[in-house]
Amino acid sequence: MIEHFDPRQHAQDLGTPEPPQGPPVSLEIDGINVTVPAGTSLLRAASLAGIQIPKLCATDSLDAYGSCRLCAVQVTGKRGYPAACTTPVEAGMQVTTQNERLAKLRRNVMELYISDHPLDCLTCPANGDCELQDMAGAVGLREVRYGFEGENHLQAEQDHSNPYFSFDPSKCIVCSRCVRACEEVQGTFALTIDGRGFDSKVSVGPEQSFLASDCVSCGACVQACPTSTLMEKSVIEAGQPEHSVITTCAYCGVGCSFEAQMKGDQLVRMVPYKGGDANHGHSCVKGRFAFGYATHPDRLTSPMVRESIDQPWRQVSWQEAIEFAAQRLKAIQAKHGRESIGGITSSRCTNEETYLVQKLVRAAFGNNNTDTCARVCHSPTGYGLKTTLGESAGTQTFDSVMQADTILVIGANPTDAHPVFGSMMRRRLREGATLIVADPRRIDLLKTPHLQAAQHLPLRPGTNVALINALAHVVVTEGLEDHEFIAKRCDTAAYQAWRDFISDSRHSPEASEAITGVDAEAVRRAARSYATVGNGAIYYGLGVTEHSQGSSMVMGIANLAMATGNIGREGVGVNPLRGQNNVQGSCDMGSFPHELPGYQHVSNAEARGRFEAAWGVDLDDEPGLRIPNMFDAAIEGTFKALYVQGEDIAQSDPNTQHVEAALSSLECLIVQDIFLNETAKYAHVLLPGSSFLEKDGTFTNAERRINRVRQVMPPLADKADWEVTQELAQALGYPMNYRHPSEIMDEIASLTPSFAGVSYARLEALGSLQWPCNVEHPNGTPTMHEVDFPIGLGRFAITEYIATEERTSRRFPLLLTTGRILSQYNVGAQTRRTDNQHWHDEDVLELHPSDAEVRGVRDGDWLGITSRAGQTVLRARISERMQPGVVYTTFHHPGSGANVITTDNSDWATNCPEYKVTAVQVEKVSQPSAWQQRFSDFDRQQRHHLASAQQVSGKAISP
Amino acid sequence: MSHNLSHNQDDTLIRMVNQIATNLSGASDEAQVVQGICKHLESFWARSMKQRLVACLDRDDAELSPLAQRAVVELAGRYRNGAQDSAQ
Repeated sequence: MIEHFDPRQHAQDLGTPEPPQGPPVSLEIDGINVTVPAGTSLLRAASLAGIQIPKLCATDSLDAYGSCRLCAVQVTGKRGYPAACTTPVEAGMQVTTQNERLAKLRRNVMELYISDHPLDCLTCPANGDCELQDMAGAVGLREVRYGFEGENHLQAEQDHSNPYFSFDPSKCIVCSRCVRACEEVQGTFALTIDGRGFDSKVSVGPEQSFLASDCVSCGACVQACPTSTLMEKSVIEAGQPEHSVITTCAYCGVGCSFEAQMKGDQLVRMVPYKGGDANHGHSCVKGRFAFGYATHPDRLTSPMVRESIDQPWRQVSWQEAIEFAAQRLKAIQAKHGRESIGGITSSRCTNEETYLVQKLVRAAFGNNNTDTCARVCHSPTGYGLKTTLGESAGTQTFDSVMQADTILVIGANPTDAHPVFGSMMRRRLREGATLIVADPRRIDLLKTPHLQAAQHLPLRPGTNVALINALAHVVVTEGLEDHEFIAKRCDTAAYQAWRDFISDSRHSPEASEAITGVDAEAVRRAARSYATVGNGAIYYGLGVTEHSQGSSMVMGIANLAMATGNIGREGVGVNPLRGQNNVQGSCDMGSFPHELPGYQHVSNAEARGRFEAAWGVDLDDEPGLRIPNMFDAAIEGTFKALYVQGEDIAQSDPNTQHVEAALSSLECLIVQDIFLNETAKYAHVLLPGSSFLEKDGTFTNAERRINRVRQVMPPLADKADWEVTQELAQALGYPMNYRHPSEIMDEIASLTPSFAGVSYARLEALGSLQWPCNVEHPNGTPTMHEVDFPIGLGRFAITEYIATEERTSRRFPLLLTTGRILSQYNVGAQTRRTDNQHWHDEDVLELHPSDAEVRGVRDGDWLGITSRAGQTVLRARISERMQPGVVYTTFHHPGSGANVITTDNSDWATNCPEYKVTAVQVEKVSQPSAWQQRFSDFDRQQRHHLASAQQVSGKAISP
Repeated sequence: MSHNLSHNQDDTLIRMVNQIATNLSGASDEAQVVQGICKHLESFWARSMKQRLVACLDRDDAELSPLAQRAVVELAGRYRNGAQDSAQ
């Protein structure tokens, strides 16, 4: 049975974690000479030498605990039987791991464990993957002298409340691995051991179930459990998997590596891969458990076409659908001109697929009308970092945070939106790093258990630039600059101009307090901490970029980092936390209308010439339309057709009614997606997409890490997304003949200097690569800007604070800001089709008790939320996380209409929408908004059109 | 409720260029600011948008801010309709 189960990571558990680098120590274990770094445990040293000491409470993802006594050994010259897990190596030690005495000791230990453990191994879900069973075999347990007559835990009550895993305390050996995983790995501290001695038991708090507890379902406890006490329900149902494939998660920008554990082509469970360079064996509720959407009955499985959006769909062959699309595109271009069509690449698809879509637009459509959803999230990062530091990407690895002494988090909520990195950050905070949070909300990071030092700067939405300027003003006027760094690494004239600008008293914390609402002394204290307490690292998210001054704020962050010398080494840096799995990659791959792959501007004749030579066409040297420009042009009637791969612009983009008007104006909308998403309801051609489990490729995460995505099951609709784009190009008369995504990556490497050293063979050999990866950096670049900047010297930028035009008034007295929560992902197309719905089955409006009170609002009331753009209705949740005057919602459910209220205000440089600031009024109502009623009717009609087509073809799919 | 934001293309483009001008106006030298606006439009705006913006110079009611106006005048040489045709 044990041989049947072969996931790779279970083969190598070294018992205790790798110690920090120490000098080599030599010792003898069972007569074998072993040399390991100082600080290594005897258990790990033995395991590294191929000597396996029995163990139960030890695992190499957790600190040694020394409770099970199974790893007892003998050391010459020492008394007793020390636990190998808690005993560090010493020079010259002579260790014995196996002899008669130790065997007897271990058998006795195992006998006691088994005396209170059900003997139902053959029917146990962990059968074949149980460390207790393995250890019973390893120690040669042959009899249990103590019967079950006395008191025992065999009838302990089970807890099946969590949708993804079960808790069966009768199987528990109280090794505390789950409790320690929750504390050390996840940092939630939801579990504890209640009681003492025989009464000891794992508990999620008094009288609580797992679902009702603080547990965030990251799965760390399940993974740590050596028995079947904590067990995935999918394994209970399906049995043990028989093979596994290492791949990359398709949720957030952390890009966790997972083992997809399979039974044939059935995915049984996703287990975070210990060798993953981004996640080191940790996971969150989305990546770990929320994969059921991939086989959900809503998946589109056949191509479909229709003449107009008020007609039912017609299921057709792939060839007919592609021909239909190509003919329409050609006819529209013939009538309305080459620039009348465009395409949107996906931040959820692979690098190779994204590259192909922008290539299709530039080479086959013959224009640069390509854009991607980064337009609505991190386009200001691209602009701001390229302008100041010379490269459109974050500067660090995730691991770098473990070297940070002061962590400044601005407009980001890592424990919800980037949970695995959030856990790592929490670990560093427990170790004593100082936390500064600049956010209108009191985010959960500020509630980190055992947080040592934290400062919260609760600024008003829309005042980021005033705050960052005030922080920089303190640095400059209090003499906290790193003059050596500035002199050596930064452009002097730009620095002097900036220094003159920022020194002005209008930027002082005292002057900006009236704008930001943040106490001046708190700002001074934060600036001093960041500039002087060791390594200062900045992490930021969409709370920075999604503003009318998003680009200015990114440049302000870069200014602050350069002024304090917090760039170019481990533990510091400017770190954008990217939203979607491959949003970094989609930007890298040339999705923006002004840049070819590798951020090479279309007007750069040398770069363009390389692409023209390779692609065999002339390329336009002018930028194309960005997404909001496409919408405006569509409404005006000059933009007529759009190819959208794996994005749901109708739900995710701001001012929904404007987007709906634009999509309705198109003569041909081609949507390629795995579901009938909101955008697809406006489409004329529907091309079924493939999930990340169904294709090969690569994703690039927020730390520029290129990770392999590996196919574990065939595409449900027979084609991977790259194949569909290729066929569309061919139908348009442009040749594309790739046989495998690796060939696409080879082409990317040949045309993109920062990817020159990337290939599937190199990724196979090294696991992952962080770009730039080329002759100068053959193994990639973990930390950017160590020696110089791609533009030579860093450029300080002038960042004047300009208040947004979106302001509160008597009519709209509250500010709405939007965001995400842990269990749902982006527009929710994936997570809404999983059991993650248990945690968040509707979007609600959070508001402060004082704002609720003056409006007579009680928790759960229906609220009409009205802005200058529109109105929607959500249920109220009264929350002290909010400041008075600020309300908050999420946009995970389409019917919520969160983006009906957001306006078309946008970042001055990139048109990134200002999602984070909308002036609204809130009042109690009794029925859905007019938009919601129209949405509901349209949704019903479109679902009917889909169902009719599927019934005609006999491929009925549940509604 | 129907949405009531103006989406007249000209107005949108004028609003955008004014916003760019405001945000780039931190440099002390006005000529440098105008250059900066010009370069921004050249680098990031589609040809059709630039042509359309340039055409706004002919309108009496185009509410371009003074710095934006100067930048658009500079662009006009290259992007007045016909000066650089969008390929049809």
